[in-house]
Amino acid sequence: MMSSSTSRSNNRQAVSLQGVDPETCMIVFKTHWGQVIKILERHDPLKNTQAKYGAIPPDEASTVQNYVEHMLFLLIEEQAKDAAMGPILEFVVTENIMEKLFLWSLRREFTDETKIEQLKIYEMLVTQSHQPLLHHKPILKPLMMLLSSCSGTSTPAVELELVILLNQLCSILAKDPSILELFFHTSEDQGAANFLIFSLLIPFIHREGTVGQQARDALLFIMSLSAENNVVANHIVENTYFCPVLATGLSGLYSSLPTKLEENGEWHCLLKDDWLLSPALVQFMNSLEFCNAVIQVAHPLIRNQLVNYIYNGFLVPVVAPALHKVTVEEVMTTTAYLDLFLRSVSEPALLQIFLRFILLHQHENVHILDTLTSRINTPFQLCVVSLALFRTLIGLHCEDVMLQLVLRYLIPCNHMMLSQRWAVRERDCYSVSAAKLLALTPVCCSTGITLTVENQAKDYILWTKASSNAVSRIGFCESMCIVKYGRTVDISYLQYLWEAEAIILHCMKDCQVWSAPYDGEDPDPDTFIQTLAEENNKNVEHPMFRLQQRTSSNCSFSQMTPLGEKMQLELEWDDSYDTGISPESDVSSHQPYDDLGTVEKQPPAEPPKHIQEMKKNAIMLVKGSYIEESDFQDDVVVYRLCAQKDAQDNFQEETLSTATESQNAVQSQPIKRSLKNSHPDTNLEDHNRKNSSLPQDVTKEQINQKVVEADPKPDLELKLSPPEENQNSNVRLLSPDSEEFIAQYDKIIKELDSNTTALEEHKLVTFEPISPVEEEEDFENFSVDTPSAESMLSPFGPKEDTLPNHPARSHNAAFTGPFISVVLSKLENMLENSLHVNLLLIGIITQLASYPQPLLRSFLLNTNIVLQPSVRSLYQVLASVKNKIEQFASIQKDFPVLLIQAQQYLLFRADMSDVTSELLTKDNFQHNSSTGKGRNFSEASHTLLQPFLAHKAKRITALPGIPLHVRNAILAAALFPEFLKELAALAQEHSILCYKILDD
Amino acid sequence: MNPFWSMSTSSSRKRPEIEEKTLPGELKISPPRASIKKQLPSIPKNAVPMTKPASPAPSSQSTNGTHASYGPFYLEYSLLAEFTLVVKQKLPGVYVQPSYRSALMWFGVIFIRHGLYQDGVFKFTVYIPDNYPDGDCPRLVFDLPVFHPLVDPVSGELDVKRAFAKWRRNHNHIWQVLMYARRVFYKIDTTIPLNPEAAVLYEKDIQLFKSKVIDSIKLCSNHLFDQPKIEDPYAISFSPWNPTIHDEAREKMLTQKKKPEDQHCKSMQVSGLSWVKPGSVQPFSKEEKTMPT
Repeated sequence: MMSSSTSRSNNRQAVSLQGVDPETCMIVFKTHWGQVIKILERHDPLKNTQAKYGAIPPDEASTVQNYVEHMLFLLIEEQAKDAAMGPILEFVVTENIMEKLFLWSLRREFTDETKIEQLKIYEMLVTQSHQPLLHHKPILKPLMMLLSSCSGTSTPAVELELVILLNQLCSILAKDPSILELFFHTSEDQGAANFLIFSLLIPFIHREGTVGQQARDALLFIMSLSAENNVVANHIVENTYFCPVLATGLSGLYSSLPTKLEENGEWHCLLKDDWLLSPALVQFMNSLEFCNAVIQVAHPLIRNQLVNYIYNGFLVPVVAPALHKVTVEEVMTTTAYLDLFLRSVSEPALLQIFLRFILLHQHENVHILDTLTSRINTPFQLCVVSLALFRTLIGLHCEDVMLQLVLRYLIPCNHMMLSQRWAVRERDCYSVSAAKLLALTPVCCSTGITLTVENQAKDYILWTKASSNAVSRIGFCESMCIVKYGRTVDISYLQYLWEAEAIILHCMKDCQVWSAPYDGEDPDPDTFIQTLAEENNKNVEHPMFRLQQRTSSNCSFSQMTPLGEKMQLELEWDDSYDTGISPESDVSSHQPYDDLGTVEKQPPAEPPKHIQEMKKNAIMLVKGSYIEESDFQDDVVVYRLCAQKDAQDNFQEETLSTATESQNAVQSQPIKRSLKNSHPDTNLEDHNRKNSSLPQDVTKEQINQKVVEADPKPDLELKLSPPEENQNSNVRLLSPDSEEFIAQYDKIIKELDSNTTALEEHKLVTFEPISPVEEEEDFENFSVDTPSAESMLSPFGPKEDTLPNHPARSHNAAFTGPFISVVLSKLENMLENSLHVNLLLIGIITQLASYPQPLLRSFLLNTNIVLQPSVRSLYQVLASVKNKIEQFASIQKDFPVLLIQAQQYLLFRADMSDVTSELLTKDNFQHNSSTGKGRNFSEASHTLLQPFLAHKAKRITALPGIPLHVRNAILAAALFPEFLKELAALAQEHSILCYKILDD
Repeated sequence: MNPFWSMSTSSSRKRPEIEEKTLPGELKISPPRASIKKQLPSIPKNAVPMTKPASPAPSSQSTNGTHASYGPFYLEYSLLAEFTLVVKQKLPGVYVQPSYRSALMWFGVIFIRHGLYQDGVFKFTVYIPDNYPDGDCPRLVFDLPVFHPLVDPVSGELDVKRAFAKWRRNHNHIWQVLMYARRVFYKIDTTIPLNPEAAVLYEKDIQLFKSKVIDSIKLCSNHLFDQPKIEDPYAISFSPWNPTIHDEAREKMLTQKKKPEDQHCKSMQVSGLSWVKPGSVQPFSKEEKTMPT
């Protein structure tokens, strides 16, 4: 009824009242009201005892309707003079007309239709009126009554109108915060919850469709209002469920996301194109986007509360378990989601908790980061998705990420010879490193497609002959000609240089906010361990969790308090060493199925329950999926995965039994016990994992060594090596027996080596604890055809002797971290990797290499620096790949032809993906711009070869003419020289850009 | 007289952004596939790539090895690295700028602020051998032969060799040559002179030497506004003070001290992520400063 009338009145507005005498309008208005009030009073039980509830004749109702319609029109059109009310408005206020009308509609049957009618009236009034109406209580009060009558259960039609009105009200509030006070007070009168319009919106937060969108927009108005208004902020934080609803809503929406994504081997991350196809995902992303927007505009109180709820109500209880689901598909899907979330979130505060979750949170005693890192080494699509996630992480240029992932392992400078430390900050003046990198280009690949100078326009700046018109007194002409005509110059390399400059500068700019230069001096390599230990003792309670406990009174999550405790526990020690424990790329040390802890129970009857569970999962992960995927090439990786898992079940046992033969090792046991005793109240399994696992001993060794080598620093000594008599918790730092332990370990390894020569290289490189029995077993199971590449010995990477004269020294912490190790070992398998894996690896490494921090730069790009023998450098790995390619080319006939085909195929893909790279850019939320915080992800993660990562939507069906079994290898061979150029270009640009940071 | 002239390339102390920007800029036009994104060796779209490896020419190229084709890049970057070192040294009164046409030729000017050669403004050109850094030391030639024992009275070339008998990579850098060129005007050396007359006068008749020096300085000043000896977009040229051009530039230079800090603060908020407290090695060690109000 009313809906038609409003549209009619809209039409009439076109007629307009312009020029009509305001007094006439007033008279008309009063007459109309006179008619209306007659009818109203006739049915008012207070004024007319005969009035019967509900029995209002339709003709009277429609009469009122018509008059009201006219009156509202007059009210809306009234122009206010100065600040005074117009006469009509004044009349409305003094006569309390709006309230009377509302009561009238109550008196009639208060159906949905009447509600909608009333809602529309107010919507019309607040949006179209020429004078502010909401300042007047007689208008505001019935409005609030109406709104509170609409709370609770409603039909979609009412909800739609309600949200539209609320949205309008919020936008008016945002423009004129002075009304805010009135809203608060009016609701008090009603005894309703304070700030009704806000509370009414909360149920719509996660609603899909326009209703949800409008509600969220409306809430954002309030949020930006809260930034300026402490009362509002406090109210929202203390008296509403806004933040918990928002955060837990994410969990709810997450649970309805697809647990599996279509798999066609070509995708590695979710782009907007993908997630738009899934309504559930769209809904989730809308809510996440909303969280992001709230955090962007809201008051810090709200921001902090929301962020904490998202951490404790979504990430920890939902995402963490989802990352550890049983099937590969589920885990992969979660990883892809996490990557998508990271790319979508733009607000630092929100990003921070995502990163904190990834870097510091422990699920079942294992850091999420370690779990993710270990998955790079899995043979499945999971590896690709995980790599994509890491590419995103590294592309953030976030100090905390880089610190945890890579830098903390480089800070002590143990990866290089002591005498080389000065070289960390050295810059490569003469492009020596670039030359060395480019010299790795396999001869067989240099015959590919290149252009000569003649093909180009003749006036390249750099190589032009000095033009003859240059006035020359001393005949420098000849010396100007650096390049003779006809000599091949790789023009494409210029673009690599140009791009390298861009990404380095971009990264440098982002890194300006970092706390330290990471140049081998700051943070101090010699006091690093100490600082870390001190901080671990100090930072028992993190600010975030303090705050969290304060706010937890509102809504309790069971995780909160335990989490806080766990946090304390974890920060106490393990955080610093836990991930850095293994001396090589030994993923096993942080695999979930690492149950070395069983040593505690002698004999190890049963591993702890959760570990059994994980083991079970791991077995399924490996065996279940592997057997199905018969075309799978990376047998060794699978093999390793199984071997690690199984070996570790028995490793400790094995070690100990061997150890008992030697009296030295016997000593190591009491030590372990004393460790245990020193922390009687901590989680035993957790503790054992940390303290008795072998790599931990290696770390001890490192510290041990450190204390020996370094000048005796009293405080360091005090910290790390207390007198023997009170060697409680510090024993684990400096146990002389660990040397023997390692010696035993070496012995085992050596035996293994002689047993399985086929895997020799791998073992030497990755140094994993594998017991011979298990190995044999698994080998039979899975080594259908062990790739020969694995057994090929690289003439480059020094085949480090695992048993040098000083066993302790050989392990002295020469370790660049699990991530670097895994990435490099994966890179070494370039010829076996799929194109996607290689492109992602290349993307990750070039991103790492674009960081200006001298520690990273020198490790990755300085080919002259002398590393510890046990540390694999990027250069060594590349050299090994070069050899593999050359060997492959020598046995593969038609290699040149195939290479050309591969190159053409790659170029074709790049063409196709031009469009998709743009899509990736737009993946970010639009809100970024307002604070200027928007990072351009494609810019950050864009390195030259990445366009080849074509998206699945633009999938190119087949690679013509290249036999399936050599496809990966030939594509790798085509990529490799380009990768070298990319690295060389980065090295060269670093050499001239590194002073920029100092200058500016 | 000093305030009344200025250099046309006022920003020569800074790294010449123009040059670097133009370099990729111009190049981008030239390759047949201008898109930055395709990074495999560019195949001209219409070319038949199959023919290339088959033809004998490329194979001869490949025997050259990959080194040869990248040599120019190494040289270019070595020189750029040298240039950044020069910029970093901030030698007082010395300004250089690589030529547009070749990174092997640098234009420069020295201002002498006290001593016998006070008020001298000497333009010069540095020539770097193309086998740098393994060749001879760079040559430094003054545009006008300054009256000085170590400057050739005809060619204007400074005797650089005496300071760098053998050019050693990693040890010798071009900024050292420039520093040497500056020093010869403050500490005069007369042994084995290129200009015996100047050497003799300096030893025997310092007054005459001084007046000759003053003549030489005047001569240089008189030719200051001449067109550069070598035609090059990046050649250093001087022009009389022109308020419409130079006032603004001077204003910029004087106010620049404050600005970078502001910009720095701004850029800190714009990008980059770190929650690491300075001095800490723990992630997320920084106290939350989310309470601006």
